[in-house]
Amino acid sequence: MKQLFHSVALISEKCIGCTKCMMNCPVEAIRVKGGKAVIYNEKCIDCGECIKVCPYGAHISIKNSLDDIQRYKKKIAIPSVTLYSQFGKNVEPDVINEGLLKLGFDEVFDITFSCDIASETLKKDLERVEKPAISTLCPTVVRLVETEYPSLVGHLVKMLTPIEISALIIREKYKEMGYKNEDVGIFFLTPCPSWVTKISEISKNENIRINGAIPISDIYPKLLKHIKGRADDKNSFISRTGLMWAYSGGQCEAIGIENSISVDGIKNVIKVLNDVENGRLDDIDYIEAMACPNGCLGGLLLVENPYNAERITKNLNSKIDFTYKIHDFSDIESKLVSDEESSEHRDTQKISTNFESAVKMIKSMNKIINMLPGTDCGLCGSPSCKAFAEDVAKGLASLKDCKFLNEGGFNNEG
Amino acid sequence: MEELLSVKYDVVSGDFIRGGEASSNLKKLLNQLGVRSDIVKRICVACYEAEMNIVIHSVGGYIEAKIYNDKIEITAYDYGPGIPNIELAMQEGYSTASDVAREMGFGGGMGLPNIKRSSDEFYIKSEVGKFTEIKIIIYFN
Repeated sequence: MKQLFHSVALISEKCIGCTKCMMNCPVEAIRVKGGKAVIYNEKCIDCGECIKVCPYGAHISIKNSLDDIQRYKKKIAIPSVTLYSQFGKNVEPDVINEGLLKLGFDEVFDITFSCDIASETLKKDLERVEKPAISTLCPTVVRLVETEYPSLVGHLVKMLTPIEISALIIREKYKEMGYKNEDVGIFFLTPCPSWVTKISEISKNENIRINGAIPISDIYPKLLKHIKGRADDKNSFISRTGLMWAYSGGQCEAIGIENSISVDGIKNVIKVLNDVENGRLDDIDYIEAMACPNGCLGGLLLVENPYNAERITKNLNSKIDFTYKIHDFSDIESKLVSDEESSEHRDTQKISTNFESAVKMIKSMNKIINMLPGTDCGLCGSPSCKAFAEDVAKGLASLKDCKFLNEGGFNNEG
Repeated sequence: MEELLSVKYDVVSGDFIRGGEASSNLKKLLNQLGVRSDIVKRICVACYEAEMNIVIHSVGGYIEAKIYNDKIEITAYDYGPGIPNIELAMQEGYSTASDVAREMGFGGGMGLPNIKRSSDEFYIKSEVGKFTEIKIIIYFN
C-alpha cells in the first residue's frame, strides 16, 4: 500500500495515553500502544475529531504559515468562503480581501466565482453518476466513502471542487502572463485540516497545484488588525450563490435541487451512507454530506461558531444581488471533471489479500471475541473488544493486553 | 461443498431501531473478506430487505449467512404468520405492511421483488401460521 500523507498528527510528548481520541474516532483508526496514541494512516480520514477531543493538545494539524508564501514571486490567496463569516456582520468581504493583501498576498482570488462554476458542472454531474449522487466538496467524506463504503464510490460526483477550479484558473492566467509555474505560489486559507491533506494529494497535478494551506484561525489575529474600525457600507463584488457553499444545505440551495438530503456531522453522515448502501435512498437525487457540524462553517480551524457564522453569511447574502452568470465555460469544462481514478479503493477493511486466509482470520477473530468481556473498556489499547479481536488476529495486538483475561476476570480461558 | 464460514443474527419483530444490524454486520464481514464492492452492495440490499421484512411483517426470526469459496447463501427465516399467496406477494407494489411502517417509508411492496432482483438465485417457501423462509444465493464472480 502506498504511503498516505495525513494532516492530523500526534505530538508524542504531550500524549498521556488517555484513550479519549481512540474512543471518539469514527473509523477506529487510533490505538494506544505503550501509553501513546498511534494513528493508523490507512484508516484515518482526516476528520479532526481527535484534535477536538484531546484534552492535552497532543493531536495537531499539519499546516503552512504566512512565512511560506515568501518563497514565491507571485503570492495568491484562495480564501475559503467561510472566511467572510468570521468577522461579524458589518465587515464586507472586500475589506477582508484588502486585509489579506496587506498581509503580503499579491492577489486574492474570488472563490465564489469557482463555486458558481462548480454549481453548473454539478448540475450536469447529477446525470453522470449513480443515484443518489454524493457530494465531493468535503475531502473527509470522500475518504470515508473510499475506505468504509467502497461500493458507493460510483455515487461520488466527478466535479472539481471550487478550490481546485480556482487553482486551475489562476495557473492558466499566470501562465498566459508569462510566469513560470514554480514562481506562482497559491495558498488556500483553510477552515479544516482535511483540506491540508487534499491539497497535498492534488499538488501532484501541476495544472491545479496548490502550494500550501494556511489555517484561517492562524491568520485571524493578524487580519483582525487590518480590519478593525473599517466598517464599509458599500457592497462587495462577490457572488450570493457562491457564498452559500459555506453552510450545510447551501449547495442544494445554490443549485436548486429539491429532492436532496443535506447531512452534516461525521456520525450523521455515516448513518446516511449506511442507508444508501442498503438501497433505501435510491430515489434521492443528491446527498450533500459534510463531516463538520453545519458544513464548512463547522471547520476546526475557524474562530466563529458555526451557527452564528451561518447567520452572518445569510445576512451578507441578503444584501447582495449578484451571481456570476456562467454561460460559457466550455474552454475549461473538459478540465473540470475530475479524471482521477475513482476506483482507487483503499481496501482498508480487507484483512488479508487471500480469501482463504481471510476466512481463517475471521474464524480466529470469532473465537477471540467469545473470550472477551464485551465491555469495550479500551484498556487494551483498542477501541472495542471487536476491534481488539481483529487486531490480535492480524498480529497487531496480543491477548496479553486484555486486562480482564489476565487478571482473572474470566474462568473459561485457559 | 461445505461452507467456509457461517454467521447467524436474530431479528426482532417491530424493532425498527436495531433493524438493519444484521445486514450491516454482514457487510463488515464481506468487506473484511475482500469481496468485490459491487457484489457487497447487492448482498447488502438483499439482506437488508429480507431483514426488514422480518421486522415489519413477522413475529420474529433470524438471518443466516453461509459463505462458500465462490458464493454466499443467505437464509431469512421467520416464525410466521406466513404468506397466504406468494405469487401476489412477489408482485411489485403489493404490500400488507401497517400504516405505521408505510409512514416510515417501509412496506412499499418492493421488498420481495427487490430481493429477487439483487440475487442470482431466489427461493421462497411459506406456510400460513407457521413460517416463511427465503433463501438467496449471490455469486462472488
